[in-house]
This record gives sequence, structure tokens and C-alpha cells, in this order.
Amino acid sequence: MFYELNDEQNSFRKKVREIYEREVSPLVEEYERKETFPVQLFRILGAEHLLCLRCPKEYGGPGLDKVSECIAVEELNRICVGIGAGIMVQGGLATDPILHFGSEELKKKYLSPAVRGEKIGAFALTEPDAGSDASGIRTTALKQGKGYRLNGLKTFITNGTICDFVTVAAYTDPARRGTGINLFVVERDDPGFSVIKKLRKLGNHSSDTAELAFDDCYVPKERMLGEEEGGGLGQLEETLKSGRLTYGARSTGVGQAAFEAILSYAKKTRRQGQPLSKSQAIRFILAEMAMSIEAMRYMTYRGAWLFDQGLASMKDASIVKLFCSESVQSIVQKTMTIQKNSGLRMDNPVQRFLCDGRLSKIPEGTSEIQHLVIAAGLGL
Amino acid sequence: MDFQLSDEQKDVQRAAREFAQGEFDPDLALELDQSGKPPESLWKKAAQLGFIGIHYPEEFGGQGMGLFESVLTIEAFCSADSGIGSALSMVDIGAEVILKFGSKDQKERFVIPLAKGAKRMSIAFAESEDGQDLSSLSTVSERRGNEYFLCGEKRFVLNATLADWFVTLCKEPKEGWITLIVERDREGINIHPIEKMGLRMIPFGDLDFREVRVDIENRIGNGGEGMAHVHHCHQVMGLRSAAQALGTAQGAFDRAMGHAKQRIQFGKKLSQFQAIRHKLADMAVDIEVARWLTYKSATEYDQGKMDSKFLSITQLEAGRTLVRVVDEALQIFGGYGYIAEQAIEHYFRDAWAIRVELGTEEEEKDAIAKIMFGPDSIKK
Ligand SMILES: Cc1cc2nc3c(=O)[nH]c(=O)nc-3n(C[C@H](O)[C@H](O)[C@H](O)COP(=O)(O)OP(=O)(O)OC[C@H]3O[C@@H](n4cnc5c(N)ncnc54)[C@H](O)[C@@H]3O)c2cc1C
Repeated sequence: MFYELNDEQNSFRKKVREIYEREVSPLVEEYERKETFPVQLFRILGAEHLLCLRCPKEYGGPGLDKVSECIAVEELNRICVGIGAGIMVQGGLATDPILHFGSEELKKKYLSPAVRGEKIGAFALTEPDAGSDASGIRTTALKQGKGYRLNGLKTFITNGTICDFVTVAAYTDPARRGTGINLFVVERDDPGFSVIKKLRKLGNHSSDTAELAFDDCYVPKERMLGEEEGGGLGQLEETLKSGRLTYGARSTGVGQAAFEAILSYAKKTRRQGQPLSKSQAIRFILAEMAMSIEAMRYMTYRGAWLFDQGLASMKDASIVKLFCSESVQSIVQKTMTIQKNSGLRMDNPVQRFLCDGRLSKIPEGTSEIQHLVIAAGLGL
Repeated sequence: MDFQLSDEQKDVQRAAREFAQGEFDPDLALELDQSGKPPESLWKKAAQLGFIGIHYPEEFGGQGMGLFESVLTIEAFCSADSGIGSALSMVDIGAEVILKFGSKDQKERFVIPLAKGAKRMSIAFAESEDGQDLSSLSTVSERRGNEYFLCGEKRFVLNATLADWFVTLCKEPKEGWITLIVERDREGINIHPIEKMGLRMIPFGDLDFREVRVDIENRIGNGGEGMAHVHHCHQVMGLRSAAQALGTAQGAFDRAMGHAKQRIQFGKKLSQFQAIRHKLADMAVDIEVARWLTYKSATEYDQGKMDSKFLSITQLEAGRTLVRVVDEALQIFGGYGYIAEQAIEHYFRDAWAIRVELGTEEEEKDAIAKIMFGPDSIKK
């Protein structure tokens, strides 16, 4: 049974917190304001061995487990969710499928530089007309000579304008709905690949999000993940499972940040002649926040532990994602309403916690999709 | 009890909807939101059409209608666009104080230009942005002959850089609490703009007064009445904010309905999924509740029997509805909900700014309980 982080894990938390506070915290305000990702961070965190945490040592990675990764994710998102998004994709959706299904050659070619932060990865599944329903994508990768020609549009792609390579889902056989999909690694300089536009967002301002186009973009067969045509969505199962657990840690991180902010606010602010922290209503709210965060943290780390044991089902991962991304909403919302006008100020991170936390309910399966996955996992 | 709008009210509603839907161009809304500029030409037009100050007496430039009609207008405006609608409903904050407590001369000098769309007004009451007691304010004005000399700092003032006049609360050592109409271009006023997450077309700022000279003719009512002025203004603003909340929720709901009818995933329209249908049903319920509470409060106000408890109930519920409905609307848009330059993203930001205007839930509950148990009940 998994109840508490052990000493090693606790000291890992302490170490990553120090690194993030030193390297990431000073960048947050500037890059949130500029609405760009601080790309220099990739090399900095690469040098600290804090990219692609689960990537095995043989490809240069730290080879850590999911629990450790969640610790790092929680700590990074406590500081900045937007920056956390770019780093998450690098170690998750962009590289995980390569690790699991790529050839030795692909692993060497993409994983090692990704781990060092020399190359930035992205992952492109979503399209303007296909989000929740991934099998509804229209991008095709039709065989031509020794490779495939990709045609299609992808949207909402994290790291889209800054990536060096992107793992793309496309139909090799459009007639086989859902099953005729494969994953390909496309490089930034491949002719036919282009960034259409960068998208501005409600929150996660320092993360980079873009619409991408593939216009007769030729990719050699070697850059397809797996030997055979088809089965690409299935290859994403483990990655999605892992990603949903990561979302538990992301939500916990931003929830923790909001909680810390409102706790100190309640102590230092006086209303109606007494410190806000003496108001029974506020004490109840803070108590409930503390309770939620505890629950989120335990859910997340238990899920990660199950994952490390090879025991986590998709239902388990969806339960973690749904619970945490919903629980964090009331934390960031109450933090905002309690602070009143001052919470609205752009120089107060509270508005950022609200808008950043709001994202959790959307990517890697919306809350509604998580309900459906859990229900399916119940055998319904 | 009659739950029907009168024919005249239906005409007002229709005219407001036609104007707003015809003129609040989404591209313009986006541009103004991003650049933080007020909807200048729409303000002039709205005034020409008689929407600004619709509830002022005809002799002071209004249409001689009630606050109820003003509520209908604000609701229609905010459902067409939360940003433009809110900006247009906040160009004459403080006029209420002059209408109720001011002299005929003041009504002619100040209220008529507001109705004409020639001038704008705001209020400067609070000195902290997080809800300090008004009774601990420190802005003072000293009367010397026929002039007051005003010193102090006001925080989070609406329309700080736009308003021509500020109805300012201050204490005169001999006269007690008073409100003065202060011209923005007076010497000794410094304005520090504030960047905030929502309602960006309404510039907020901090005001510093340093020995600002105000003519005695600009004092509203009598010495010692200041707090009564503030109370009256807050009541009217509370009602108008409830109307903003209602309209904004309605606008978000309309957009979500539109999206649900048109977006296809898994081969079905979103509107065919039970979970989405029920969300929209819940949202409709919330909006109806908020609407009838708001209408009842406005009716009571116009009948001169404003019930403070009921107004607090209205504000509390309008705020809850606003947040719940806008949040769910964003969710129905999925990823598109999170992207700026789409139909709903600025509704989320504006909703939170309106939410803050409505006061915290705790304050409203305190107010309700105080009336239910009696003013001194907590000390017993
Ligand atoms: C900031 C951000 C970053 C992202 N990064 C990436 C990325 O790097 N790579 C990538 O590929 N994608 C990315 N996405 C896309 C994201 O995964 C999708 O937005 C998400 O999967 C939802 O799809 P959608 O936006 O098309 O919404 P839709 O699928 O259109 O959903 C709209 C609404 O309908 C609901 N719904 C859909 N189907 C059903 C159903 N069967 N029953 C009930 N309700 C249903 C949804 O829950 C939602 O509320 C990102 C999105 C955002 C906002």
C-alpha cells in the first residue's frame, strides 16, 4: 500500500522545488506577459535532468518513475501552469509514443536531444473538427514510395510554434475509422509543414499553442511509429493514461499555489474589524481547500504508484484526472472571490491561478469524456 | 402579482436587443477588449437612442422610466456582448446619488450631460481594494470658505481615466461624511491605471487627491449624509450588477446553445448528448431564477419599497448563476472555449470581474443573516 512519500521522494521534492524556484520563478511574470514560452528553459532543465523524467537512462534520461514525475509536475505547476504545459508535453505526449513504439534509431535520434533540451517536441492529434472524438480526425498519411505524404490541419497544439519535431496522428487508411491511424514524427524543416498561427488563450499564457498545417508533407517510412499500418490510437493508450495522472499533479500544483496565496491573504487582511482568518466562513473555506488538496494529492500519487506497479487501468487514470481537475475549480474560484477587486489585478497571480486552473477540465479528455471512460470501465 | 412585461417594457427590451445585436460587432468587441479601449461611438449612439439614463426623469434628459427598464437594457446589452454591454452600463455610476440627494442645479449641470452622452461619471468611495469598512476611510476634505480641499487616496475606481466627474466620499472635520463631485481635470489629482483580467473596456485606476479644490456647489446634499449616499448608490449598483450578471449569463448560454446545435463529435451534434442537454437545462434553470429575482428587486426599487435582504439574495444568486453558467458555457465549447478570439473566452474574464462587483458570498450572507436575526444579534 502507498500512503506517504518516502524520504528519497521527499528530498526529490525539496530538490526540484529549489531548482524551479531558482530557474523558473524569475521568468514567470515576464513570459506570462509576453505570452511566449521561455525556450531557454529547455536546456536549463535538461542540464538539471528535469526533462522527460521517465525516459530510461539508456537514452540519456533520468529513468525515474511516475510518482517522481508527479512530484516534479506538481512542484512546477505550483510555480507556473503555462510553463508546466510545455515541459509536460516534452516528457509526455511528444516523446512517450516514441519511447514505446519507435525504432531504436528513432529513440536515439529524438529522445536523447529531447532529454537534454536541445530539441523541443510537440504532439498533434486534435483538429478543428475532431477533439474528443479522436477517430474523427481527417489528416491523412498516404503511402508514397518509401514514405508517406501527410495532409491536414491540427489545432490547439502545445509547443506548436517552437517545436523541432512533432508526433502527429494521421490516417494511413481513412476507410478504417478509428483503427487506420498511425503516428509519425515530423520535423520542423520538413517541406510541407508549417505553423499557421499562434493562438492566444484565456490562461496558460506562457505556454505556446498553435495551429499547424501539413501540406503534402513527405515523411520517410522510418519515422512512422511501429512497423505496421494502423493501430496508432491504441499506441496512445499508455501515454494518455500517464497524461491523465499528470493532470492530477498539474491540478494539485495550481491548487496548492492558490491555497498558499489565500492562506497568507486571510492572515494579513483585516475586514470588519478583524483579521479575515478569524471569520468562521473563511475558516471553513480554507479547511475545505486543505481537505481537497490532500485528497487530490493522495489520488494522484496513488494513481501514479499503481501506474508504476503496472496496475493502473484507464479508469483509474480518468478518476484521478476528473477528481483533481474538478476539485481545483472551487479552490481557484474561491481564492478569487475572497480577494475581491485585488484578485482581478494582472499583477496578482490569483487571476492567473483561476484561468490556468480552468484549463484542467479540457485537454487529454474533457471532464465529460472522463465520465464516459469511467462508466465504460465500470462495464456499463 | 403580474409576471408580464408591460407593452412599453417589451418595446424597451426589443429596442435594446435590436441596438445591441445590430451594433455590437464581435470583431470590434475583441479589438476593444484587447486594447482596453472604451466603446466610444457606441456610447454616443446609446445616449442618442435614450438608453443612457433611461430611468432619469425627463426634465433631466432621461426617458422618465424606472430602474426596471434600465435593468432590461443592461441585460440585453450584456447578452449581446459582456464587455461592451458592461462598459455602456457603467458610464453614469454615481448619477443616482445626485438624482436622489442633489439640487436641481446639480441635476442640470451633471445629470443632463450624462444622459446626452457628453460626459461620464464614476464614484470614488473605497480606499482599499479588498473591502475595508467604509467607516475607517481617511480621505478628508477641509472646508475653507466656499471651497473644500480634498486629500486622500481612492482605490480601484471604475472608469478612472474616463470619467469626467467622480462622486467622492470624504470626511469634513465639522460637517462629517459628505460626498463631493470632483472634476477629473482638477489640479492635484493623480490617476494610476490598473491592468485587470476582465471588463477591460472599463479602465480602472487608483486616484490620489492632493489638496484638490472643490467648489461648495459640488457638495451633494448636506453634511453628514455621505454614508447614506454611498448606501443608496451601492443598492442601485448592486441591482445593475445583477442585471449585468444576468445578461452575461444569458449571452454565454445563447452562445453555448448555438455551439451545441452545430458542433459535431462522434457523428452527433453536441445537443444530442444527454450530458450536454442537461447542462443547458441546468443553466436555463439558473438563469430563470436569477432573472426573476433581479426583476422583482428592480420592481420593488421602482415602487419605493426596496428590501435590502431581498437585494442581497438577488446579488448572491446572480453571482452564483453568472459563474456557473459561464463556466459551463466555456466547457461546452471545449478547447475553443479556452482560446481567445473565440465567442466565449472574454465572457469568462468579464464574468469574474462582474462577480467581484457583486460582492463576496460571505458579505451577502452576513447581510441576509443580519436582517433575519436582527442588527445586534451576533453580539448577544
Ligand atoms: C490549451 C490547450 C492545449 C492543448 N494542447 C493539445 C496538444 O498539444 N495536442 C493535441 O492534440 N491537442 C491539444 N489540445 C486539444 C484538447 O485535447 C481538446 O481541446 C480536447 O480534447 C477537447 O476537444 P474539443 O476542443 O474539440 O472539444 P469537443 O470535443 O468539441 O467538445 C465540446 C464539448 O462537448 C463535450 N462532448 C464531446 N463529446 C461528448 C460526448 N460523447 N458526450 C458528452 N459530451 C461530449 C465535451 O466534453 C465538451 O464539453 C489542447 C487544448 C487546449 C485548450
